[in-house]
Amino acid sequence: MDPKWNEDLPIYRQLRDRVVAMILEGVLGDGDALPSVRNVAAEYRLNPLTVLKGYQELVDEGLVEKKRGRGMFVTDGAQKQLLKDERQRFIEKEWPQVVATIDRLGLEADQLLREMSVKKSSKPGGKND
Amino acid sequence: MTSLVSARNVAKHYGAVRAVDDVSFDIEKGCITGLIGPNGAGKTTLLKAVLGLTDCQGSLSVLGLDPFRQRKELMQNICFIADVAVLPRWIRVNQLLDFVDAVHNNFSRKRAEDLLANTKIQPKAKVRELSKGMVTQLHLSIITAIDAKLLILDEPTLGLDIIFRKDFYGNLLEDYFNEERTIMITTHQVEEIENLLTDVMFINDGRIVLDASMDALPEQYVELLASSENADEARKLNPIYERDVFGKKVLTFEGISREQLTGLGELRTPDIADLFVAKVKGATA
Repeated sequence: MDPKWNEDLPIYRQLRDRVVAMILEGVLGDGDALPSVRNVAAEYRLNPLTVLKGYQELVDEGLVEKKRGRGMFVTDGAQKQLLKDERQRFIEKEWPQVVATIDRLGLEADQLLREMSVKKSSKPGGKND
Repeated sequence: MTSLVSARNVAKHYGAVRAVDDVSFDIEKGCITGLIGPNGAGKTTLLKAVLGLTDCQGSLSVLGLDPFRQRKELMQNICFIADVAVLPRWIRVNQLLDFVDAVHNNFSRKRAEDLLANTKIQPKAKVRELSKGMVTQLHLSIITAIDAKLLILDEPTLGLDIIFRKDFYGNLLEDYFNEERTIMITTHQVEEIENLLTDVMFINDGRIVLDASMDALPEQYVELLASSENADEARKLNPIYERDVFGKKVLTFEGISREQLTGLGELRTPDIADLFVAKVKGATA
């Protein structure tokens, strides 16, 4: 149950990333309430200020809005926005590295893509394994 | 603004032994301060002085009161869980609630009962019939039901199993803590509370060797994981402590910027346990 915190990143940042992942995966949808600061602090035994700081990052990014006295909510269109940003980031940052790895290992991009589509079609049920 | 707890040159001697030796610090409202130190460092003596359970030299103000002379007023707004079980073993849970209700103005019996309803503790049970973990739960439930400004915990989870320990801190945050409240806590289980703290103090041989906010630690302290060759270079910057890990050297620096160490190896912020060893052992080396 206990999350493993990564030593290289501040915890508030990792909390922010976790909420972002939840929005991307659709666990948290537009307008959904975030778990309360108190709950998260108690669950993970974190200082409430740490949790608040993580949430504040999300507010600053426009992904979450504070409603006075009611808590924090995912803003409308947050997932769309995140997907756009994530795609952008993948294309700019990760993809060039993937390409470099493919080159370095002497792989053929066409071959890899063909294998990927074979794998996809051979698993008709999807997630049964 | 005056601090919630303010100590100036506080000292307590037992014969020739200086249990607390010229200690000064401040604790502000809304903080969770960890007091970390080895056995015999003076933690409990210091807490006792804050609670007015022992007199001391120097000046000490808690909630604006002199804890030794104005103990009665202070006790209205302060709570304490000791490392030794202090609840009488013969008393029943409901009798204990009757008692606290009668003696404490700020106690909400309803709240204590609600909290206990979430545990396996039966109102008719005697303290001696409860497990060690349940006694701590009972104690915490009572304390949480008291509207106190300052809570002092002295090794509150000593001897408890891991489930109880986690629940203890979870409940503390969920049911007790808010920005109007302040907690001072001592423990050996540093890893368990380090993410909980806003501030940390290290105490060794009766003296405070570190007093910092958790936010400030990454700026003040850095650990370098370096090869032996790079370690020679890094030693010129006077590390406070050095240890070996998997054939590499880990050097702990105080007041050295990360820029000064770039290129010499991997940099990270030491965790509290490592920092404690560095400060205490480094000082005696």
